[in-house]
Amino acid sequence: MLDTLRHVTTPELIELQLRPAGLLPRGLAWCIDFVIRAALLIALGTFLSNLGRAGSGLWLLGYFLIDWFYPVFFEVWRGGATPGKKTLGLIVVHDNGTPVGWSASLARNLLRTADLLPFAYGCGIVSMLLHREFRRIGDIVAGTLVVYREKPVLRAHPAHEAVLTPHMPLDRATQRALLAFAERAPALTPARQEELAALLPHLARAPSGPQGAARLLGLANHVAGRQA
Amino acid sequence: MKQEGFERLHAAEWDVFEAWLDYRALPKRQRDARHAPFPSQELPQRYRHLCQQLALARDREYGLSLVERLHALAQRGHDHLYGLQGGVGRKVWRYVTGGFARDVRAHRGWVLASFLLLFGPQLLMMLAVHLKPDLAHLVLDPQQLAHYEQMYSSDAQHLGRVARDASTDFNMFGFYIFNNVSIAFRCFAGGISAGLLTVFALVSNGLHFGVVEMRLIQAGLGENFHSFVIGHSGFELGAIILSGAAGLRLGFTLLAPGQLGRGVALAHAAHELIGMVCGLAVMLVIAALIEAFWSPLRLAFPIKIGVGGVLILVPLMYFLLAGRRHGS
Repeated sequence: MLDTLRHVTTPELIELQLRPAGLLPRGLAWCIDFVIRAALLIALGTFLSNLGRAGSGLWLLGYFLIDWFYPVFFEVWRGGATPGKKTLGLIVVHDNGTPVGWSASLARNLLRTADLLPFAYGCGIVSMLLHREFRRIGDIVAGTLVVYREKPVLRAHPAHEAVLTPHMPLDRATQRALLAFAERAPALTPARQEELAALLPHLARAPSGPQGAARLLGLANHVAGRQA
Repeated sequence: MKQEGFERLHAAEWDVFEAWLDYRALPKRQRDARHAPFPSQELPQRYRHLCQQLALARDREYGLSLVERLHALAQRGHDHLYGLQGGVGRKVWRYVTGGFARDVRAHRGWVLASFLLLFGPQLLMMLAVHLKPDLAHLVLDPQQLAHYEQMYSSDAQHLGRVARDASTDFNMFGFYIFNNVSIAFRCFAGGISAGLLTVFALVSNGLHFGVVEMRLIQAGLGENFHSFVIGHSGFELGAIILSGAAGLRLGFTLLAPGQLGRGVALAHAAHELIGMVCGLAVMLVIAALIEAFWSPLRLAFPIKIGVGGVLILVPLMYFLLAGRRHGS
């Protein structure tokens, strides 16, 4: 299976869909967090350098806390995402889809040391590339997933004046295909649009009204709930 | 029922639900200034209704935009309902007053194994160095040995520190926390390598202690050394042993997951062990306090030994006696 979508059934017997995030977005999120952490430590260092040797003890304490508990803090108290993850629209959840809690968050961040080995997140990267849900060792042990949590936006495709009602009920796969087509249409040449429309003759051709791609866009408007 | 009718029937309900979610997302101060769209205790019921409507909408193949909207609402409601971290304070209190000791007793086999892996090599090394002092160089080079002897020499102002880096107690406290807790965390996490890294950490620490202790005794500094370490050794070594036990258990779960899948078994084990790891981190903080502020004091040897003995007994008694009454 090429699709990475993970379906989770909740106790209410509905299906939630989680889309695990891969190596690159997570790597980028880590880089952003790294910069933030470094900035925090430098700021702390400048401030504490006034306090002499006791300051260096405090700095080590701060370094220890930030090193181990920076992600835990954000994952448990700030909605499952460190600032870096938030920037990329990622969030950490349990593998049953519920928001991550204390023990899982601690486990996945303590196990980070195992992912760091032998150097530069070697084990973590290999594990993420091999796992079909892109989990690093810490994620496997903690039973967590890093997923995309973007607001579902039905992108407004350029409104096509016609709203056409289909002659037969459309199943969801067809609806989805129509919407995807309408979203991508502006980026396609008219010739390509017609070529794609020709793949669906039973929808794109009708006894009357617009034909081909124009008809598909009209149907997509109907599916998206536009009123004529 | 047509989609339009369905939407007309429930739209108000969905709008209120969405308004409530937006309200909860506000910072606390702004929330207090407004009225909640509905009281929190209605959330489960309203969420279940929404779930039912989502299922209906999917089953009846309603429009995609409607299904996606309901899915988004249900997802947010789900996160609210299942994301609540209730009663953290009480949970911590119950864990401290007995749960931790129960966890440790439940893992006594692993604790024993970890104990042997730490103290076995230590005793062997002490014996070896006693019989043949040059064997010490297998573990430590002469420079390091000289450094240790200087730390515990009788003219050192503070025990356990080299005179020339006149560090303050507070500086050392930060260092001990940073160093020891990190080591313990790594000792636990290293267990994922089928326990190899954990065993390595325990054995190498044992060998190290053995050499240092025997060489200092041979140099006639045994009294200084023991008066320094005895205060914090109960908490510190106890915590190292527990982190070793947790690491060994994790490694064993990887090797022999039993009837569960390997990933699931590891997740179960980690969930059971994480409390113990937090507990041992707290033990190390206590150890660091003692090590930084009490251990370096130059007091009469009997006082240090007496107080040290009590400080070793405290964690021991806790693990043996605490949390028996509730039973489990």
